[in-house]
Amino acid sequence: MWNYIAKRLLLIFVVIFGVTLVTFSAMYLAPGDPAEVIALARYGQDLSAEQIEAVRAAEGLDSPVHIQYLTWFEHVLRLDFGKSVISSDDILEEILFRLPATAELALASLFLSLIIAIPAGVLSALKQNSLLDNACVFTSLLGVSIPNFWLGLFLIWLFALKLPLLPSYGYGNLENLVLPTLTLGTSMAAVTTRLTRSSMLEVLKQEYIVAARARGLDERSILFRHALKNALLPVLTFAGMQLGYLLGGAVIVETIFSWPGLGKLLVDSIFARDFALVQGCVLFIAILFSLSSLAVDILYAVLDPRIRYDRHD
Amino acid sequence: MGCNMHKKFKYILMFFLLLAVISASACIDGDEDGTAKGADSEVSSPELSVGISTDVNNWYLDKFPDGDGRFVWSQIYETLVRLDPDLNIVPGLAESWETPDDGKTWIFRLREGITFHDGTPFDADAVVFSYTEQAYVTQAVLRPIKSVETVDSRTVKFVLAKPMPLPFYLTHVAWPIMSPSCVDAEGNFVSPVGTGPFKFESRTRDQEIVLSKNEKYWGTEPELEKVTFKVIPEASTRVMALETGEVDMILKVPEYDVSRLETKEGIEVYRKLTTFTDFLQFNCEKVPFSEKAVRQSVACAIDTELITSEVLKGIGQAAKGRAYSPVMMYSNPELEPRSRDLEKAKTLLSDAGWKDSDGDRIVEKDGKPLKVTLLVSKGVWASRHSPMAQAIQAELAEAGIATEIEFLEGGAITQLENAGDFDMILRTGYFVWGPYPKHFFVHHSMAPYSHYSNATYDELVNAADMTADEDKQRELYYALQDFVLEEVPAFYLVHEEKIVAANSYVKGYTISSEDPWLNLEGVYIEEE
Repeated sequence: MWNYIAKRLLLIFVVIFGVTLVTFSAMYLAPGDPAEVIALARYGQDLSAEQIEAVRAAEGLDSPVHIQYLTWFEHVLRLDFGKSVISSDDILEEILFRLPATAELALASLFLSLIIAIPAGVLSALKQNSLLDNACVFTSLLGVSIPNFWLGLFLIWLFALKLPLLPSYGYGNLENLVLPTLTLGTSMAAVTTRLTRSSMLEVLKQEYIVAARARGLDERSILFRHALKNALLPVLTFAGMQLGYLLGGAVIVETIFSWPGLGKLLVDSIFARDFALVQGCVLFIAILFSLSSLAVDILYAVLDPRIRYDRHD
Repeated sequence: MGCNMHKKFKYILMFFLLLAVISASACIDGDEDGTAKGADSEVSSPELSVGISTDVNNWYLDKFPDGDGRFVWSQIYETLVRLDPDLNIVPGLAESWETPDDGKTWIFRLREGITFHDGTPFDADAVVFSYTEQAYVTQAVLRPIKSVETVDSRTVKFVLAKPMPLPFYLTHVAWPIMSPSCVDAEGNFVSPVGTGPFKFESRTRDQEIVLSKNEKYWGTEPELEKVTFKVIPEASTRVMALETGEVDMILKVPEYDVSRLETKEGIEVYRKLTTFTDFLQFNCEKVPFSEKAVRQSVACAIDTELITSEVLKGIGQAAKGRAYSPVMMYSNPELEPRSRDLEKAKTLLSDAGWKDSDGDRIVEKDGKPLKVTLLVSKGVWASRHSPMAQAIQAELAEAGIATEIEFLEGGAITQLENAGDFDMILRTGYFVWGPYPKHFFVHHSMAPYSHYSNATYDELVNAADMTADEDKQRELYYALQDFVLEEVPAFYLVHEEKIVAANSYVKGYTISSEDPWLNLEGVYIEEE
């Protein structure tokens, strides 16, 4: 097991190299001259060609793209992420400031979505085609269809304005976490509920469940010890992917609630052609994504004893 | 074995519980005062919180301060020359100024006894420091400055390469006077130090900027002890945070919320025309807009009054082609702007040879249909420009012009501009320094993104900017307004309105036409 984890951690390095290389190339291929975009941000509209060239030289944008990438990578190996070309802020500092906020929102939303989705999905499957099941299916369809920006604003309107219980925006207190978590968590729960339901239905048809019933085990232990544990495997995979997505992709919710997360930083820096900042964000998101998928794989082994990662077992 | 599995399952449950505990504990250690709901306590203390849309990304003169950061700058930093709320030029840190040679040399006499927030005296050296080579503005708009010299501790001399009305330029919040103590011995920026009514206390990235009263302020003493700028990027959230009382005042109120807030009890909405005007810029270097008749036809086909009343919910004033807002200097009150005249739009096209011969409702000339692209930026103005572009598209279609709208990101637009591969761009006003109509430079052939070249126009702009005599300057700027209305290098759509909303317990606020600028002089919180 430890061997496997070590191997996977090494693999993360390769993933990072690949992901950042692709991002770097994509940024380079995006329309617009990066030197010009940066110069416009720094000096305003009244630009001269010399200023654009000065920016190009100062930011190293005049060297070939592969050299630019390798220079960046070499600096990163020395933990030097550089400075933002727009604000001159230290990039590592900027990202580390946002990491706790991002992790907090992602984990809280995932937790909320699972505690809603798993019971709802299981109940739905057990009482298939009942009123309860239909209600669950309908609610989750609604949850999938409602866009996050609408739900977020609606929740602010309801819980901050009409029933003044919670702050409408901001970061720092526990109560600030509630509305963004509700927004992200409930919309994720919608998908997970459907997945849990179908996976549970699948498992309940399996022969070992029939066998367990034949052995006269009580429903509870059939359900929890045999069915649910197997049904959770695909849910776990999906939750891991969702966590990875949340770490970098919650930009809409972050914007609505003034949540200082990585997603908004990444999008803002892409628009500003802040190459080093984009690269820094992507790198951290890639690491977090890889780590969360590693965590899922480890949980797999814990959950299902048939899965073993070491060959010489 | 079953028991063992059961145990493992418990572990998994515990793992998720642990996640919950971690995420809960991670948020508890945030500080208490920051974003707590404070409507009840803030009413009685002289503190103001203001919701803005972006954080301050830069505090120093080596770069252009972007977005709403400039509203924060206007509390900390001051300029040599100031503007009153109606854009009249008034003394700022300089008490008087003169030009002995019709605008090529400017001598500013500085106010005495002013100190920066950290006690550094404000003197001629600070002015020189603020306009050295490292200041980005001396490489941009103020490029004509050849030298800035100390005459004595209270007198500064600016020598320019050509005559220009420098005092107007020096009103701009983006290039104020900074203390030499903003930087350390190596020239690295340390902290923002200005002379303004409020001084910098702290900043939490993307959350808030806290300023406190400058006890030694030279002007009218501020009534407020503390001003906190809260960063709330989403406009709808900003409005709701105002309504809940989490913030006392918000800037940049979205158009669709204005009429609702105006009728809401407990909220005051302040509106005033600013110095900016949205416009439709043509690529005059390429067919079809190289033809004046086609540009004029577009100008006749678009109903700016309808756009203002319907699309923008009555926010702003229809420009009808008038190049700049009536609040601006030398704005000609007699100017007769255009009104929509669809018949004239069609006649102009058919006289120029554009006719619809195949009945597809799009006019053609030499077999080529009149199809044009309209670029709209995805930036901060998108929410207003996107419906405006659609209205323009529909109105042009009635005249027989097919418009394709392209929503692009800033970099993509500059690329198309450089390649000349576009027909129209929807822009918000720029090159506006206070009331002074520097904006005409936008269509000068030397301007970076002008797409227009006309020798008569260039001469008029040069002459107007270099003339020191007020009457003559007025005459030249009147001529330019007529020129733009007739020749249409761009069609001007809407004079923008600045909108600030505040809770009614915020008293004494006077909205200024200057934008971006937030005037908190005389603002106080009424105790209940």
